[in-house]
Amino acid sequence: MAEQTKPFDSKLQAAALLLPTIVVLVAFLYYPSLETFRLSLFESAFLGQDLRWTGISNFVELATSSTYRNSFVVSVLFAGVVVIGTLVLSLLISYMLFDVDLGSSSYLVAAIWPYALPPAVAAILLNFLLHPNLGIFTHYLELLTPWTLDWFNSGPQAFAVLAIVAIWKQLGYNIIFMVAALNNIPETLTESAQLDGVGRLKMLYKVYVPLISPTLIFLVVMNTIYSFFSTFPLVDLMTSGGPSGATNLLIFKLYRDAFEFSNYGLASAESVILFVLVAILMYIQLRATEGHAQYGG
Amino acid sequence: MARIQLTDLEKQYDDVLAVKGIDLEAQDGEFLVLVGPSGCGKSTTLRMIAGLEDITSGTLRIDDEVVNDVPPKDRDIAMMFQNYALYPHMTAAENMKFGMKSVSDFSSDEIDQRVEEAAETLDIADLLDRKPKELSGGERQRVAIGRAIVREPEVFLLDEPLSNLDAKLRVQMRAELLRLHEELDSSTVYVTHDQTEAMTLGDRVAVLDAGELQQVAPPQELYDFPANRFVAEFIGEPAMNVFSVDIRERNGHYVADHAGFSISLPDGEGLDTASDSSVSMGVRPEDISLASNLPDDAETFAVETTVREPLGELLLLHCQLGDDEIHVKVEPRSEIQPGETIEVGFDEDRLHVFDARSGDALYHSTAPEPTKSEAVATE
Repeated sequence: MAEQTKPFDSKLQAAALLLPTIVVLVAFLYYPSLETFRLSLFESAFLGQDLRWTGISNFVELATSSTYRNSFVVSVLFAGVVVIGTLVLSLLISYMLFDVDLGSSSYLVAAIWPYALPPAVAAILLNFLLHPNLGIFTHYLELLTPWTLDWFNSGPQAFAVLAIVAIWKQLGYNIIFMVAALNNIPETLTESAQLDGVGRLKMLYKVYVPLISPTLIFLVVMNTIYSFFSTFPLVDLMTSGGPSGATNLLIFKLYRDAFEFSNYGLASAESVILFVLVAILMYIQLRATEGHAQYGG
Repeated sequence: MARIQLTDLEKQYDDVLAVKGIDLEAQDGEFLVLVGPSGCGKSTTLRMIAGLEDITSGTLRIDDEVVNDVPPKDRDIAMMFQNYALYPHMTAAENMKFGMKSVSDFSSDEIDQRVEEAAETLDIADLLDRKPKELSGGERQRVAIGRAIVREPEVFLLDEPLSNLDAKLRVQMRAELLRLHEELDSSTVYVTHDQTEAMTLGDRVAVLDAGELQQVAPPQELYDFPANRFVAEFIGEPAMNVFSVDIRERNGHYVADHAGFSISLPDGEGLDTASDSSVSMGVRPEDISLASNLPDDAETFAVETTVREPLGELLLLHCQLGDDEIHVKVEPRSEIQPGETIEVGFDEDRLHVFDARSGDALYHSTAPEPTKSEAVATE
């Protein structure tokens, strides 16, 4: 350890090699972020050509807007449902995939496949499958259960359908990580439990979940980000935020404010709030689970 | 205590026959060691006994009951793994309790009491609140043993339990395992690739190679009367010297001819089969002595020393004998140097002859005990 070889001849060379990355980060991440923050303090008109300093009035307007507050509540609820639903479902599916002896790779491909589908394609396909009048899924659901599917008009139904689609879309991503984490658990632990006669469910929540907790925490954070930011195409193509704001997620609302109503200042303020909200949530998640995660041993 | 019987046990993986028809029995309370090189099927055999591997064919009985299809948890066995298989997120005590808690017929007082007792026996009472990562290798080993014994199983299965420990600890744990086995009075099947472990621990040792059982015998018998060339060379360190010889009959007695020597063999069973055919002769390094240490009438021959390995307790010489290299153990402080020619001879009571092709033992210059007593009776 005494002698460390220097990877670079000079600091200048190191800086030169870092430059392309820094340029990309600055151009596409830091500059837009700062510009968004700056824009949130202005009122804009004519596609942002005409800017007028208004201070925090954009934020005040949002705080007092009932549409915005509704959108905020809907987004947080939606994130909660999607994060928990995705984790629970993928955990169960992953556990079954991990447990199965025969043909596990074909099951794995089947489980991961939805993730490989572009969100827009998935949204349009599911729109057909779940269409209240034409959907083949709707047909059988109504045939076999007393329910009627009318999510074009019913707010709660639209919310549920959107959440299910969002969960379905995110399962693959979670399953890849969970199966990998489960497969990393030494097989002898499973065998030892088999000899002791430990039940499978007990094994899952007493042994496997604690052992893959680092992966689960990572997935909670990634799913949170996903549910706030990456569900835009689903909302846009399936519900357009309706009916009457029931699925009007923050990310969708800010898009409309910016590009339909050309209110860049207001949309920027919404962006800032969304960013701060997700950042706070991630901070809480990481702090709350600190010390609980099992990192090897 | 329990009796484990393996009858024609086989394990087939896709295109590999890993275990080929093993017949083996572990008696009540016996310490049986399965030993062999890696890939010989010893672990697979153990895992079939545990129920962690399906049995392709043959029968497995525990206490005369066929358990081929009995799930592992109902076989009343405890197994210890090479990596100990402790749950990293649980303390030592929780690790020891976890399995028992899953079996409903223990009250929690009973569990606590048993864990306490086991901790006492294993001298780990003050480590019970620690997690595995806070324990040393030896301590983890003890916790793993503790977890196995709290359930008081009929059968203990141990899969290379000592190979992750350093040499000194291994010797210590070996003694401890023996003491524990005496105390618990259960049947133990122990898998290892280390012949020293096998010799020191086993009441009987089963040697496996390429999925086949080569020999089962008490350690000393295995060493003195190997059933074939594989066992002869696997057991003992350094390995037995084996070289090709021709056996000829001369005046009613048999003589072994080699490029480097020609010696007469004590009469015994099997020499007539071996004569006039090419066979292998085996002599352990300690059964070759310098001529000066042999009786005057002993047959000796000259070999050239090529390498000198002082091992402290003895001196190991590599010598050229015709086209073969042989190992000879001599007194540690001998002044023999490489290049020197020395006069040596065999201990005529400790010679072995193997079939050149099948490797089966044809002749031991001293007959194994049972055969010997029989011979005495008929005379």
